[in-house]
Amino acid sequence: MSRALATLVTALADDELVLGHRHSEWTGYAPHIEEDVAFSSIAQDEVGHAAALYALAGKILGDEPDHLAFGRQADEYRNALLCERPNGDWAYTLARHWVYDTADDVRLESMEGSSNEELAALTTKMRREERYHLIHAEMWLKRIARGPIEGRNKLIHALEEVLLDSSGLFEPLPEEDTALTEGWVTASSQELAARFLARTNAWLDEVGIPIGPHSIAGERAEFVASSSGDLIEEAGPSLDEAHTSKGGGGRSGRHSPDFTELWDVMTKTYREHPGARW
Amino acid sequence: MDVYEVFRRTGHKEPYEHCGAVIAPDPDMASIMAKECFLRRGEGEHLWLVSRGDIHAVSKNADENVVADKSYRYASAYRDVVGKRERARKRADEVMSGSAS
Amino acid sequence: MTYEEKLAAFNARIEAGDKIETEDWMPDDYRMGVLKFIEMHANSEIMGALPERECLPSAPTLQRKMSLCAKIQDEVGHAQLLYRVAEDLGKGRDAMFEDLVNGKSKFHNVFHYPVKHWGDVAIIGWLIDGAALVTQAALLDSSYAPYTRVLKRICAEEQLHLRHGEDITLELASGTDAQREMFQEALNRWWLAIIHFFGPRSNPDRDLLLKWKVKTRLNEDLRQEFLDRYVPRIVELGFTFPAPTPFHDEKAGHWLINDDDIDWGPLESIKKNEGPETARRLGNRKETYDSHRWVREALAEPAIHAA
Repeated sequence: MSRALATLVTALADDELVLGHRHSEWTGYAPHIEEDVAFSSIAQDEVGHAAALYALAGKILGDEPDHLAFGRQADEYRNALLCERPNGDWAYTLARHWVYDTADDVRLESMEGSSNEELAALTTKMRREERYHLIHAEMWLKRIARGPIEGRNKLIHALEEVLLDSSGLFEPLPEEDTALTEGWVTASSQELAARFLARTNAWLDEVGIPIGPHSIAGERAEFVASSSGDLIEEAGPSLDEAHTSKGGGGRSGRHSPDFTELWDVMTKTYREHPGARW
Repeated sequence: MDVYEVFRRTGHKEPYEHCGAVIAPDPDMASIMAKECFLRRGEGEHLWLVSRGDIHAVSKNADENVVADKSYRYASAYRDVVGKRERARKRADEVMSGSAS
Repeated sequence: MTYEEKLAAFNARIEAGDKIETEDWMPDDYRMGVLKFIEMHANSEIMGALPERECLPSAPTLQRKMSLCAKIQDEVGHAQLLYRVAEDLGKGRDAMFEDLVNGKSKFHNVFHYPVKHWGDVAIIGWLIDGAALVTQAALLDSSYAPYTRVLKRICAEEQLHLRHGEDITLELASGTDAQREMFQEALNRWWLAIIHFFGPRSNPDRDLLLKWKVKTRLNEDLRQEFLDRYVPRIVELGFTFPAPTPFHDEKAGHWLINDDDIDWGPLESIKKNEGPETARRLGNRKETYDSHRWVREALAEPAIHAA
C-alpha cells in the first residue's frame, strides 16, 4: 500500500517545492515593498507544505525529507510544468499564483476526505493557508484587471499563457488509480479538472476578465471559432495527446529545459556534499 | 495610495498600540500587507488600520501654567491620610467614651 | 524667535540629550543629515537582500530554505520601516528608490561584493549582521526619536538573525573538511570588507552626525567592540584571518588590527558605486523597477472599472 501513497504524496510535494522555489525568487525584487514581505510569506508557506508532505512520504519510505527534496535526479520529480516555468514579470507571476492556488484548493478540498488520516489532517492544515493565498491572488487580480489598461492587458495575456499550461496540473498523478481505489483521494484528476474549469471560468466572468470559456487539452470538446464567427464544438485532443500538449509531461518526469536549470541550482549544495549537516 | 498607520493588540490586558505603517492603495490590500509586516511573528492577533488623513494630532506643553492648584488629580495630594486617620480615631474615642467634643 | 535663537535653542536641546520628533523645529543641516543617513540605512537593507537572495535558491535543506527566506524577508521589512521614517522627513519613497537604482545614492559597502556558496551565508548571517548589530545598537540612542523607535524592532530582529547566522556557522565549523574550507574561503574574501564596514577613524570635529548626536559613538570604537566580540570566537573555531590580521594585545586586553594593514582602496571604488557587483545588481534592480511602472500605476489608481 504505502509505497504507492508515498509516490503520490511526493508528486504533490514536488509541485509545492518547485512553485515555492519560484515564488522565493521575488524576495527583494517585488514591485511594492510591502508586497515583497507578503509574497515571501507565501513562498515560505509553499516550501513548508512541501516539507510536511515529504515528511509524510519519507516516513513510509524510510527516507529523509531533505533527500527527497534535493537528492533525486531531475527526471524523478513529478511536478507539473506550470510550477517550473520562470517567473516572468509580475503579471505572469500573479496569473500563475491564482491559477495554481485555485487548482490546489480544488485538489485539497477533495483530499480532506482522504481515507488516510494523516494525509487528511495535513490537508486541512494546508488548505487553511492556501485559502489565504487565494484571497491574496484574487485581490491582486481584481485590482490589476480593473485598473489602467496597460496592466489589464498584461494580466489577460499572462492568464491566457498560464491557462494553456494548466492542463499539466491535471494529468493523472502517479499511482492515482490505486489512490482512488484506496480512497486516499476522493476524486480523479479529470474530475478535478472539470471543477477547476468551472471555478476559474465563473470567477473570471465575475471579475470581468475576458478570457472566455477555456478548456483543458484532454477535455472532450473545445470551442473554436467557425468561419462564420460562431463558436462551435470541435473534438479536442484526446487524453493521450494531453501528455504532449503544452504544460503536460511533468507527472511522468518529462520536464522543460527550465527545470533542468532550476534543479541544478536548487540541488547543487546538497549534491556537492552528500551526507553533510547544515 | 495612502499611508495606513497600524495599531496592534496582543492579548487582553493592553490596548491597541502603534506599531508602524504600510503604504497601500486600499484598506483590503493594506490589511493583508499589514498582517505580514506586523503579525508574522505572532506578536499579536488584532490590527487596526487608520488612514493617515484620519489621524488628528494633539500635543500639550509640559510647563503650561495653570491658575488653580489641580494637584487633586494626583495620588500625591492625599499623602496626609495617615495623620487624618489618627485624628478621626481620636475623635471616635472621644465620642464613644462620652467625653466633651 | 530669530533663526539664530531657534538654532541656539535646538543646539541646547541636543546638548542636553533631548530627543527630536518629526514635527519639531530643526535646522536644515540636521534635517538633511538625518534624512540622508536613514535613507542610506534603508537602501542598505534592501540592497543587503540582494547578495543573500542569490544564495537562497541553493539552500541545502528545506528548513534553511525557509529560514533564509524569512531572514531576507526581515531585511526587506526593515527597509520598509526605515523608508517610512525617511519619508516623513520630506523625501518620497519612489524618489528614494529611483535615486538608489540610478546609482545616485549610497548603501553600505558589503553589498557590492559577490557571493559564491553557502559559506557566504554563514559570513553574512553571523559576522556582517554582527557588525550591523554593533552599529545599530549604538544608534538606539540617536537624537532623532522616530529613528530610534523603528531601530528597536530592527535590533530585536537582527539579534535573531545573528543566532541564525551563528547556527549556520557552527554547522559548517563542525562539519566535513569541505564545509570548514567553505567557511574559511568565504572569510578570506569578506574580512577586509567587514573591516571597511565600520569606516575610517571618525572625525568628531567635522562629522555633523556626531555633532547632532544622530550617531553617538566613534567608528573606531564600534570596530573595536566588534573585534573583541567576534575575533576570539573565530579563533576558537580554528579559522584564520587574511589581512588586516587581528592580534591579541595582552596589556590592552583587546584584539587589535594595524591601521597600516588596512587597504582602503576597494572602499574608494565602492564610494563611487564601482564595486565588483554594483553595476550588475543595481542594473537588475533598476530594470525590474522600471519595467514594473505599470504595477505602481495600478496601485496608485482607485479601482475604476467595475465588472
